[in-house]
Amino acid sequence: MANHRFSSVSEEEPCCDISKKTKICLCVFFGLLIAVIIAVPVGILMWRHPLKEWKGKGTTAHFYEILLGRCYTYTQIVRPELGHKDCQKIGKAFTTAFLSKDPCSCTEQDYQPLLELTAQTVPCNKTLFWSKSSELAHDYTRVQGDLFTLEDTLLGYMADGLKWCGDPRSSEMNYQSCPDRREDCSNNSFSVFWNAVSKRFAEDACGVVHVVLNGSISNTFDERSTFGRVEVFNLRPEKVHQLQAWVMHDIGSVHSDSCSSSSVNNLKRILKERSIAFSCQNNYGPIRLLQCVKSPEPSSCRFYV
Amino acid sequence: MESKGGRNCTAIWEAFKVVLVKDPCSVLPSDYDRFIDLSRHSIPRDKSLFWENNHLLVTSYSENGLRFLPLCSVLYGRIGDFLSWCRQENASGLDYQSCPTSEDCENNAVDSFWKRASMQYARESSGVISVMLNGSEPSGAYPVKGFFADFEIPYFQKDKITRIEIWVMHEIGKPKVESCGEGTVKILEERLKKMGFQYSCINDHLPVKLLKCVDHSTHPDCVLNSAAASREIPPLWAEHGASHIVPLLVALASAVHM
Repeated sequence: MANHRFSSVSEEEPCCDISKKTKICLCVFFGLLIAVIIAVPVGILMWRHPLKEWKGKGTTAHFYEILLGRCYTYTQIVRPELGHKDCQKIGKAFTTAFLSKDPCSCTEQDYQPLLELTAQTVPCNKTLFWSKSSELAHDYTRVQGDLFTLEDTLLGYMADGLKWCGDPRSSEMNYQSCPDRREDCSNNSFSVFWNAVSKRFAEDACGVVHVVLNGSISNTFDERSTFGRVEVFNLRPEKVHQLQAWVMHDIGSVHSDSCSSSSVNNLKRILKERSIAFSCQNNYGPIRLLQCVKSPEPSSCRFYV
Repeated sequence: MESKGGRNCTAIWEAFKVVLVKDPCSVLPSDYDRFIDLSRHSIPRDKSLFWENNHLLVTSYSENGLRFLPLCSVLYGRIGDFLSWCRQENASGLDYQSCPTSEDCENNAVDSFWKRASMQYARESSGVISVMLNGSEPSGAYPVKGFFADFEIPYFQKDKITRIEIWVMHEIGKPKVESCGEGTVKILEERLKKMGFQYSCINDHLPVKLLKCVDHSTHPDCVLNSAAASREIPPLWAEHGASHIVPLLVALASAVHM
């Protein structure tokens, strides 16, 4: 009887009396158990924080309703000649471009269907670019109803001021955060969109085009701005024969001739290389008047009587 | 615009919808009561801007509520701005072809909306009240029968208003039909005086005139003193100064003779 007990302890082969089939079942069982032990907390974590966290602000609340509403406002009231546009289709094409996709791998191709649906002819000589002068340029087109900045075209009007991005693991928009261009990635759905529409806006321009520049900053023409990087290089020399710059200075500031500054001369040189003529005016009258509305400073803003 | 957060746009729409099922000539201002209740919000002091016959100018000047907050920039005004709506006469759907005007019937959906909205806006206005009128309007700058006269002035809250400032604007290069103290403007001034309001009147209020000039920058009335100086034309030789040259030369000539 002692021999029998001792003989089982000194056993060399482990579990030798369990069949191979049982061994396999046990392994599978433990494997599944481990998988469940790992998967459940991960699943809970993912359910609670399902979307990736980025450094930038998230999708604008009520993004889709605002997008659609703006589309209708624009096509029915602002430019009723575009009343035939299908806003439902346009809204769908917009979200399809970025939903369920990695917001850091966006390409201009993603926005192609949207660009096609929102094609719009801006009349020749009516294109107005801007750089570091957003408020002033847009105040001007609001008053001077027949000039167009990008934000006065259908797609620019719809997207202005909004933020959006999706997530590959969800069909929902990420309202928590979206990639920041510098800190996360540059090929994000937001930046790619604006590059694509700016490019098209410049390609479509014809005749004499204008740009509002800020003469009160050192980089009046900034090669890293969207205007400097994208728009200037996508003007078509066969359609655009001249770019006129209106360089505005802050009201009350000492008069300077920013038209002959090195940064503006740089713009002139780039255009010359592209066979586009350039002209420049300091403190273009009508926009000067607009600046006066904002700050009616006595020395610059009184009528000559 | 400052946050009007927490508003339930769906509920506001549901409240508005009730008028869309009513007979197009039976919509009363009070039918919008629930809609106004849900969409009303306070108006910052001194920011109210009333107007007649210059909708676009007011929209441009107010800069989306940054400078002033006219009715078309408050939530309930913004909703209806530039829109028209009515139910079909003999069916339940919306009529996209035509809607009754005030000439067709008084109680139409759109007029009743603006009456109700105007009353609310006037009631919630406080501090300095600004009024922009069109002094080039042939029928008079202050319409004696109109939204301002009938649905705003009567609802001014005397205890909340410090004073009323009237701006009579004139179209650049067009005749000045009325100015402060004249015609219908005088009627308005007297009405306000009778109601016990402190008021003042300015012709062609400078900031607004500057804005009007943006579209007429080459017109003589729109030349800025800085622009004239930079053109290096000595004031004596400019248009208006020409009439002074001759007497000056004569005076000089006679001085030389002496």
